Amino acid sequence: MAGGRRGVQMPHLSKMERVVVSMQDPDQGVEMRNQRLRITVIPHTVAGSDVVDWLVQKYCISEEEALHLGTLLVQHGYLYSLRSPRSLVLRPDDTPYRFQTPYFWTSTLWPAAELDYAIYLTKKNIRKQGALVGHEKEHYDQLHRKINHTWDLVVMQAREQLRAAKQRRKGDRLVIACQEQTYWLVNRPPPGVPSVLEQGPERSSCTAGRVQMTKNMEFYKQEMERCRKALTRARVKSSICLEAYLKFSSQHGPHDPIMSGCLPSNPWVTDDDTYWTMNAPSVAVPTKLRVERWGFSFQELLEDPLGRAHFMDFLRTEFSGERPYALLEGPGRALLLRTLRVSASPGHGSGGPHLACGPPAENLSFWEACEELRHGRQAQVHAMVDSVYQQFLAPGAARWVNIDSRTMERTLEGLQQPHRYVLDDAQLHIYMLMKKVGVRARRAWQYPAPWGPAPPHCSPVHTCSLGSPLQRSKLRLRGRRACPSLLLKERSSCDFKKYFNVGAPGWLSC
Amino acid sequence: MAREECKALLDALNKATACYHHLVLTVGGSADSQNLREELQKTRQKAQELAVATRAQLTAALRDRGLGAEERAEFERLWVAFSGCLDLLEADMRRALALGTAFPLHAPRRPLVRTGVAGAAAGVAARALSARSLRHEAEGDFDVDDQRELEREILQVSEMIHDMEMKVNVPRWTVQARQTAGAELQASASASSVGAVSVQERTGPCDPSKALAATVFSAVLLAAVALAVCVAKLS
Repeated sequence: MAGGRRGVQMPHLSKMERVVVSMQDPDQGVEMRNQRLRITVIPHTVAGSDVVDWLVQKYCISEEEALHLGTLLVQHGYLYSLRSPRSLVLRPDDTPYRFQTPYFWTSTLWPAAELDYAIYLTKKNIRKQGALVGHEKEHYDQLHRKINHTWDLVVMQAREQLRAAKQRRKGDRLVIACQEQTYWLVNRPPPGVPSVLEQGPERSSCTAGRVQMTKNMEFYKQEMERCRKALTRARVKSSICLEAYLKFSSQHGPHDPIMSGCLPSNPWVTDDDTYWTMNAPSVAVPTKLRVERWGFSFQELLEDPLGRAHFMDFLRTEFSGERPYALLEGPGRALLLRTLRVSASPGHGSGGPHLACGPPAENLSFWEACEELRHGRQAQVHAMVDSVYQQFLAPGAARWVNIDSRTMERTLEGLQQPHRYVLDDAQLHIYMLMKKVGVRARRAWQYPAPWGPAPPHCSPVHTCSLGSPLQRSKLRLRGRRACPSLLLKERSSCDFKKYFNVGAPGWLSC
Repeated sequence: MAREECKALLDALNKATACYHHLVLTVGGSADSQNLREELQKTRQKAQELAVATRAQLTAALRDRGLGAEERAEFERLWVAFSGCLDLLEADMRRALALGTAFPLHAPRRPLVRTGVAGAAAGVAARALSARSLRHEAEGDFDVDDQRELEREILQVSEMIHDMEMKVNVPRWTVQARQTAGAELQASASASSVGAVSVQERTGPCDPSKALAATVFSAVLLAAVALAVCVAKLS
């Protein structure tokens, strides 16, 4: 067809072509009959049932599969129905079909061009004396606007092609007209019919499409390239991946409204939106499930705006001297000290039990400001970076956060050319500091309840577990070798269980 | 006049391209045969000759600095149609090569697709060559040699197209086509002189069958009239 654009032939089309060619075998192919129109006789008609039987016999498949394969052939235009050419289905009865000529086979190697479609529509217009309807009329007008400069050629070619066709016998003329119609039904489907040539974004990559049959030098070069790229990829053992996946599923399963239902009722089903009002971003009393979810990880806590607000309150009250949570005796106090020693970074002046990580509420504000910068508008990046620097990082700033010297150096360098990710290092450092504090915050919220009686209609009692005993022991083993934060997690998980005892008096239950 | 000549050549090229397209449609199908390949060869060679001639004329006309603006616009319009036609021809030739290689005529393992098209296409080729009829003179292994020649010709045509793009600068988007939407419905309004000639030619092959029908009908009519007269005389 016109145009020098050529793609790659998709493998499923090559396979279908092979099937069609093997159907043509004079001895072992499909049985052919003649079609009788009023005077003319046109040969080479197949019945739908014959096609299905042949496929069943040749490939030893079930009838259902053969029917599906046959329908694929019709949908891609390799067979067309003589009675109802617009319905691209294979009927397993004696509906007559005919094979498409190889020129009109569906091909991504020779894509259908606008010029050809314009010529076809013009021919149809001439044959129907101007009575084009529906989407064809729209396309005709569109094409007339789009390729106006070659419209003379379109008209000339259309007329000449019709005249050339008149040189043939009537039967041939009919067949060729049907073939062309089928071709355009597949390549420019009417509205509402899905196009078989649509390729999703991941499928249009050439490497996926090309089926290398011959093992020549090109093939081996590509193989070497592929292996080289594969070497540099980071890999995780599948056992670890799958464990993490299982843990995630078991943890989040009870929280998923589709898997475990939602109380009081699914608003989409019953039109009662109590569920939504109870779980609104800023509600006075969070539901139990929500609080549980905060216990899964620090990320969950920060992502929920209500969780973040509570965490902010916790930080303010915790480190300003008032201690309503009364968990700083016993293991809690030792934990706090260990936290502080761990988070006191080298190269910085003050140490000891005094809070060396800066006022934690400012940490959270800094983190929030960094998030806003990352997800904010490009035009405001400069202004935001400046304001964050003035508020949090400049020496003597009002809400100064404490970052270690190396990160501070890198950040200050990056501030010369600010972009939206320039504060990422500092944000990560602060995040890690906050995470350790967050562990205690989440524990503190389980017992006793800091916000009064639980709301009605909330979920039944769940045990929040960190997975099976096997997983927990593995976590412990890994933690021994790993950094202190994991040790903390392991320790906190034990305390977590102790305080989070189902059936303890005052336990948050509905 | 140069413009009329160019128009005539372009129409002939257009006809040859349309006929070639029509013939390539059946390659690989049940109508494919040695004769068809020969017809393809003759048609495309004729098309190439016409293309070379048209190109020479049009290039000469466009290089002429002394052209008026309207004349120039007219030649540019012809040029755009000519290069489009040549693109179609080249694409069809490439397609013919691919299909001819995929469906060789004398390979037992590779049967032709039974498409239902059975008749000969000699009339189409004859129309392209503006001749009354076509004689088939090819020998045995014609299609194999033909493929090689087809490859060479495709290269020639691509070179010609490339040369045209490089040497003549006609911006396509500035060309305004003369035909409006629906212009094809005015039956022979814009048919050129060549078109009229081809109409006459086309009635040529139909003449024998129509003449036969006419004679049979008139004979029957005469017989009926004679019978009626006899009956009238007798009664």
